[in-house]
Amino acid sequence: MAEQQLPERQSPLEPEYHPGSHGNFEHGIDVILSETRPGSILQLAAWPGEEKRLIEIIRKVTGLTLPDGAGGGTSSGARAVFGFAPGKFTVVDEAEGLAAAFAGIITPAIGTLTDLSHGRTAIRIAGPKAEWVMAKFFAIDFALPAFPLGAGRSTNHHDIFAQIQRTGADQFDIYVFRSFARSFWKALCHASEEVGYEVQ
Amino acid sequence: MSPRRTETGGRIDRLRTIRFTFDGAPYTGHAGDTLASALLASGVTLFGRSFKYHRPRGLLAAGVEEPNALVTVLRGEVREPNIPATMVEIYDGLVAVSQNRTPSLAWDIGALNQLGGKILSAGFYYKTFMGPVIGPLKGTRFWMFCEHFIRRAAGLGKAGTAPDPARYERMNAFCDVLVVGSGPAGLMAAKAAADQGVRVILADLEAHFGGSANWSGESIDGMPAADWAQRMAAQLAGNDNVRLLPRTTVWGYYDGNTLAALERVTDHKEVAAKGEPRQRYWAIRAGKVVLATGSFERPLVFPGNDRPGVMLAHAAERYVNEYGVLPGQRVALFTNNDSAYRSAVALKKAGAAVVAIIDVRSDVSNEMRRLASDAEAELLAGHAVVATEGGKALTGLKVQRFDAVSGSLSGDERSVHADSLLMSGGWSPTIHLASQAGAKAEWDSSRQAFLPPKPTQRWIGAGAFTGSFSTAEAIAEGRAAGLQAAGGAALSAPLPVVEAVPGDPDPAPVFEIRAKGKSFVDFQHDVTAEDVRLAHREGFVSVEHLKRYTTLGMATDQGKNSNVPGLAIMAEALGKPIPEVGTTRFRPPYTAVSIGSLAAERFGDLKPERLTPMHDWHIANGARMYSAGLWYRPMIYGLPGETVEQAYVREAKATRDSAGIVDVSTLGKIAVQGPDAAEFLDRVYTNMFSTLAVGKARYGLMLREDGLAFDDGTTWRLGEQDFLMTTTTANAGKVMQHLEYFLDVIWPELKVTVTSVTDEWAGAAIGGPNARAILASCVTGTAVDNATLPFMGIVHGRIAGVPVMICRLSFSGEMAFEVYSGAGYGTRVWEALIEAGKPFGLVTYGLEALGTMRIEKGHVTGAEIDGRTTARDLHLDWMLSKKKPFIGSAMMDREGLIAPDRLELVGLIALDNRALNGGGHIVEALDEVNPHDSLGHITACCYSPALGKYIALALVKGGRARHGTRAFVSDPLRNRFGPVEIVSNHFYDPDGSRMHG
Repeated sequence: MAEQQLPERQSPLEPEYHPGSHGNFEHGIDVILSETRPGSILQLAAWPGEEKRLIEIIRKVTGLTLPDGAGGGTSSGARAVFGFAPGKFTVVDEAEGLAAAFAGIITPAIGTLTDLSHGRTAIRIAGPKAEWVMAKFFAIDFALPAFPLGAGRSTNHHDIFAQIQRTGADQFDIYVFRSFARSFWKALCHASEEVGYEVQ
Repeated sequence: MSPRRTETGGRIDRLRTIRFTFDGAPYTGHAGDTLASALLASGVTLFGRSFKYHRPRGLLAAGVEEPNALVTVLRGEVREPNIPATMVEIYDGLVAVSQNRTPSLAWDIGALNQLGGKILSAGFYYKTFMGPVIGPLKGTRFWMFCEHFIRRAAGLGKAGTAPDPARYERMNAFCDVLVVGSGPAGLMAAKAAADQGVRVILADLEAHFGGSANWSGESIDGMPAADWAQRMAAQLAGNDNVRLLPRTTVWGYYDGNTLAALERVTDHKEVAAKGEPRQRYWAIRAGKVVLATGSFERPLVFPGNDRPGVMLAHAAERYVNEYGVLPGQRVALFTNNDSAYRSAVALKKAGAAVVAIIDVRSDVSNEMRRLASDAEAELLAGHAVVATEGGKALTGLKVQRFDAVSGSLSGDERSVHADSLLMSGGWSPTIHLASQAGAKAEWDSSRQAFLPPKPTQRWIGAGAFTGSFSTAEAIAEGRAAGLQAAGGAALSAPLPVVEAVPGDPDPAPVFEIRAKGKSFVDFQHDVTAEDVRLAHREGFVSVEHLKRYTTLGMATDQGKNSNVPGLAIMAEALGKPIPEVGTTRFRPPYTAVSIGSLAAERFGDLKPERLTPMHDWHIANGARMYSAGLWYRPMIYGLPGETVEQAYVREAKATRDSAGIVDVSTLGKIAVQGPDAAEFLDRVYTNMFSTLAVGKARYGLMLREDGLAFDDGTTWRLGEQDFLMTTTTANAGKVMQHLEYFLDVIWPELKVTVTSVTDEWAGAAIGGPNARAILASCVTGTAVDNATLPFMGIVHGRIAGVPVMICRLSFSGEMAFEVYSGAGYGTRVWEALIEAGKPFGLVTYGLEALGTMRIEKGHVTGAEIDGRTTARDLHLDWMLSKKKPFIGSAMMDREGLIAPDRLELVGLIALDNRALNGGGHIVEALDEVNPHDSLGHITACCYSPALGKYIALALVKGGRARHGTRAFVSDPLRNRFGPVEIVSNHFYDPDGSRMHG
């Protein structure tokens, strides 16, 4: 099939996505919420023993070098990668089509590639109170030494599974199932009211 | 100037006047006052009525242990009962009311209970609710009638019924060191730990850090202790590695050093800021915990010890030094230890006349004698209080000579005129959290108190909590504990220097003065010393039984005041030493916890909503939605005036006549990938998948390990090693867990990954005689004719410019196709299909029509795969491969699973042309009065537009053998009885000619 320009994807947050300042913002904005809408969200999995080969493939395709250790990760401006389970990685790119770049390189001998670009919604929380708001949702230690820059975590908020990557000292990208995204977004906005938040 | 407010002193802001009401009457106080201190300053002596006898009660304490002065705080329609007035910080507009009184606190009709005397003793309700066993009322419901009034007469505050609009939140916190309590020990511990660079949380239930330093009147490092505490707290606040949590009660100590705390964020504010929660529930995971929770002063047990005006000695000191309030003008003290002498000096300094210090000990030290002299108090050593006088306020007391060794009284009673009696029965370390953490308290005969046990979790004690009651010891232990918790080495730097009134920390072992009159042990539950002895006489010798029988130590104060005196009296009755009697294990919560804080952000929002990509379209186009698990799905797209039945009948009929479209995005979808994916599916499904060609789909059935049916769905082979499994909506999560379990635990050698891709795909099922024509008119890049897209075939193309994957399969029994697109394009593709369907009269249909058409076809869903049925019961035995083993194959032929009398799937037709109901029973003979002998039950029902009849699927004994026979539906719950015909579950197009086309 010839390559065609694809139309814009519909955001699951649309009716509840209200750019501007909200909550107790009169005293300042302490978190900024946004949907980052990456073009590609992939899940890569390596068979036991093949992790290093997969990490090398990720480096070659994305230019991102994964640090050693469980939950390690890194991000550049446009791309991000983090481990979320043993031998499993989430790879994100602003642009669409990253799956095609991996196809054929991740051979059956190494592991699998699953495209989740539509299935996961990426929500970013940034600002001095980002850790505070995140602590309302997740039983995770968000302090920088415990959750270093670039690292990823798999967790859940009640019924909502979430993968979280720290993409800045006070910035986190949260990946939730698309069907739950609006519900999670509403909860996140609600929890952010206390500190004053801006939707960008 | 209010009658009891001192001219100077205290940490209240005398320039700020706060206005509030108590029982409707206006009062004023100052910023920094509690409700208790403000009312006390205003001359109020009567704060509450007791639980059982409705005796007038005043303030006993100044902190969280207050048992008497419980109030209800009102905010609009919302009422929160049973809050100690000592813990309510006043704010402008505060509305508080007293409890357990009718019609008013001053004139309470319930006070007649005091005439009940012995009838209302321990175990009262256990005895009385058994009812009269003799006499004319035997066997009647008389006591049930009485119970109503008895329950109304006794008790605490009343819970409200208005919805609570407040916001509550949960916080998760992690730290290296959690310090509980911010007295001198806690502050030193927090500082020492913080200086080591570790992360520290310091929590205190009071509004201000400092604990006893705020009212002890001592000096530390040459400054008033309160100022020292303030300086320490300010230093801690400036540290990035310290989180300070004032107004935060750590109420639970759980395994793994997880502690629960409640922060009262806005309870002290007139108005909360936007988004600010009323309370926060903190779940704190701490590396180490420093317990610096201090100690409670114990009351002495003597007749009339509950009269308003009788107060704990340190509480009076606190009211004076912290709030600038005198508990009385003429003060007497009654003690078995040295600490009350300091209180006497503080009261004197604040302007009260200290008329007497009554000490049970005859050998009072010279230091204490000097303090008594400083307070200008008459010292009555070797004496005890044997009675108090007054009504709603104390007017005097009677004392007698007392032998602390024998406990005997002698000589004449002597009257002392006083409006305040301050008592001290020694101190009990606040070991609640240590007790919760899992070890047994240890009795210390010197301190006459239970000391904390050896830690079984990672905590370290410091200060009064360990029985070290002096501030100097607290400071030393606090620093050592903080360092130890943070892993630091001992410091040689000098400790802060404390200037304090000296005193022996060990009290005389005197807990009760036995004289005539009611002597209260547990003030909150009206348990007297005689009640404890009665329990002993009636055979309740275990301390746990004593607690439950007498209710000693129950309710909101959880024995903070009464625990040790109660045990001491019990021990004496048993003739055993206290350590042999033991103590009860403290349980969480330490103080009352609001249910709202536990619900936290789920308050009013119990579950998240799960929405399909086309959700907003459904709403905008008139769908009536209902929840299916967490999902929201269209039930019908009703037209004006249509009933639900009319709508689904219209939708189903239109689909069968021309075409219909339904959102099937909720179906569970799991990517099964890897070299062993086909092998894995062969093991998971009862039928073979390794033989499935790429580009084809197959219907599959899964069993549980026990051989019962588990789930069904189609699985599509997208590539040699790439399958897309679909599951039922309801079972998607369970199937995923099932697959992960087998891959992780049973067959880890298989190279297979499973990933939930439910949300990756939007799914639209379009079915009906014109479905193919509609598709053909809007799909590009592929044909959809029979040759290109045969039954169970898969093709890829585009609709509205976006890639789609189309599989030809049918749930409705019509020629049908499932069109999958990326979820972000779901609405676009859906709208394109709707547009393409317009010339064909395409209808949107909801779950009701979907269910109707599946019933007509006799397909099973979760209603039939209900965890009790087998593949054979559902006539799916043709799917049980004999060529391979699969999950459940070893167990599916068990005797009970192939028994001839099992329930089998059948169809039913209502012969009376009336609707059937799910759950209705099937019987051979009707007996409306005494329904019996059920053959089975209805699992799903509808009006079938295809048949023009009310039909149902049912699980019935005998199943197929009963086809063509008559039976009856028996549904006594809904009064539905009538004849039915049992038929095949395949009502409609049984040979599948319509869907095969």
